[in-house]
Amino acid sequence: MDGSSGRRRARLALAAGVLLGLAYPIPLQWSGYTYFHTVGFLVLINAMLGVGWNVIGGWAGQFDFGPQVFFAIGAYTAAILFVHVGLSPWLGMLAGVLAAMGICALVTYPLTRLRGHYFAISTVAIWMIAQPIGATWEFINGSRGLFIPMQGAQGVLGATASLQFAGRTKALGYYYVAFGLLGLTLWLLRLVEHSKLGFYFRAIRDDQEGAEGIGIDSRLYKVIARSITAAVFAAGGVLYGFWALAVFPEQVLDLNWSTLPIMATVVGGIGRLWGPVLGAVILIPISQIMSTTLGTGPLAGRGIDLIVYGVIIVLIAALRPTGILSLPWSRWARRLAGRPASGRLVGHG
Amino acid sequence: MPPLLELSAVTKRFGGLVANKDVSLAIGAGEIVGLIGPNGAGKTTLFNCLTGYLHPDAGRIVFAGADVTHARPERVCGLGIARTWQLVRTFGRMTVLENVVCGALKRHSRVGAARQRAWHLLEFTGLAPKADVLAANLTLADKKRLEIARALATEPRLLLLDEAMSGLTPAEMAAAVELVRRIHAELGLALCVVEHVMEVVMPLSQRVVVLDYGEVIAEGPPAEIARNEQVIKAYLGEHYRGR
Repeated sequence: MDGSSGRRRARLALAAGVLLGLAYPIPLQWSGYTYFHTVGFLVLINAMLGVGWNVIGGWAGQFDFGPQVFFAIGAYTAAILFVHVGLSPWLGMLAGVLAAMGICALVTYPLTRLRGHYFAISTVAIWMIAQPIGATWEFINGSRGLFIPMQGAQGVLGATASLQFAGRTKALGYYYVAFGLLGLTLWLLRLVEHSKLGFYFRAIRDDQEGAEGIGIDSRLYKVIARSITAAVFAAGGVLYGFWALAVFPEQVLDLNWSTLPIMATVVGGIGRLWGPVLGAVILIPISQIMSTTLGTGPLAGRGIDLIVYGVIIVLIAALRPTGILSLPWSRWARRLAGRPASGRLVGHG
Repeated sequence: MPPLLELSAVTKRFGGLVANKDVSLAIGAGEIVGLIGPNGAGKTTLFNCLTGYLHPDAGRIVFAGADVTHARPERVCGLGIARTWQLVRTFGRMTVLENVVCGALKRHSRVGAARQRAWHLLEFTGLAPKADVLAANLTLADKKRLEIARALATEPRLLLLDEAMSGLTPAEMAAAVELVRRIHAELGLALCVVEHVMEVVMPLSQRVVVLDYGEVIAEGPPAEIARNEQVIKAYLGEHYRGR
């Protein structure tokens, strides 16, 4: 009884969220002021990356601080294929995802000998190795990067097919593409969560020796988990590269491509499918508001915005380390509906 | 017919310390063997060698015709050896049912089938009423019971129990002994039981192996072991004589 009403509430929340997400940019579109579309786009892309990071960090319990490497691999693969071969960005995204997964599997397998902090440090090391490669490899134009030429595709379909939106609808177009990709990621990872993989990832997180004892190859499943994370980051990287119309090392290998999604995941609820979405919806607008209010005016240039932003994150982490999604929402929902918090409190007393 | 499990002259060293020295023993299909000995005698090291967590420096381990001397834990499990742990290793942030589903996924790759199999085992072990409880919130006795259910879910032919009774109250211990007897009688598994509580291991075992300083110092039916002078001196103590 309680389970089914809980599920109904969850479905209602999902429907409300989808409607809100779809409707959000429409009233703003008429004003011609697209700044808030871009904030929305950044929320969605960071939410998507957080949902991807949750697989290795939240489910498999392995702290990965270098997923931006796969963000870069995705962005570069699609950009190169587009610039040199003229391949559609969507096929480029598929290629980028496959390339990121393959490289991730090769690189991560040796790292799975390491555990805990040592694994985390090794993922940082891989990122440090990737930076000089990105900056000096001539095939990808080194530190100058790649510029993505506009194709001038016609109409909504043409723009979507070439992943290039321009003019008044640019921000709107990318917002909806990010919305769709986030939805696809959530749908696919929900399937993973309830499959054998989801069970095995969490078993390794909770007790690696115990997991091996019931026949789980911990190294293999850690590699699979990280490759899934890499796939999501690669897809995000392609989207970001086409949005920015350029791919260069300092941009796609920026540390923020791991810290923001990780913070969104931890603040929203690590290990919960929807945690990173909630975290991104809360954190990204705060960071944008901070930098446009505190980052300008008399206090500009002193980093006050970053300090306040940092304090907010520390407060959330200290007050609710398991994330905002872990608060007793269903009990509050019941109380709001005017029903007692627990059946045992009434009756037999 | 060869025995289910056969160890020949297994030796395991940690630096200068010899944890297992020339251990040879066999366990037949459907047999219950008790493994006893003082603290530090090498019982857990032997379990770790048997299940692939450690690999012997010398000797050979053969299970059901396959050489598992250097096999990894997941392969040993696949061949049909399952174990429990002296310090429990349940998956604390997963429910009781999910813990057992993880075990059942070894033989059923579809979650639905694994869930069905897991329910059977929760009913068999009496954990069904607690199916939705997080494993971290169970009592020690239930955690140990859950480890047994999870191990059974991998459909082993040999189950190794590492102190499944230690730390339990007398009533919980009696219930655990009852469960072990049912696993033997109804599922027909071979069992190897490491235990410090003689009142449990002696009546339960068909055969007892005694380890001391890494070596097998005695082996035989429980009644015989209880009278063995060397075993009394090394482990049982004078108070056990003549019971």
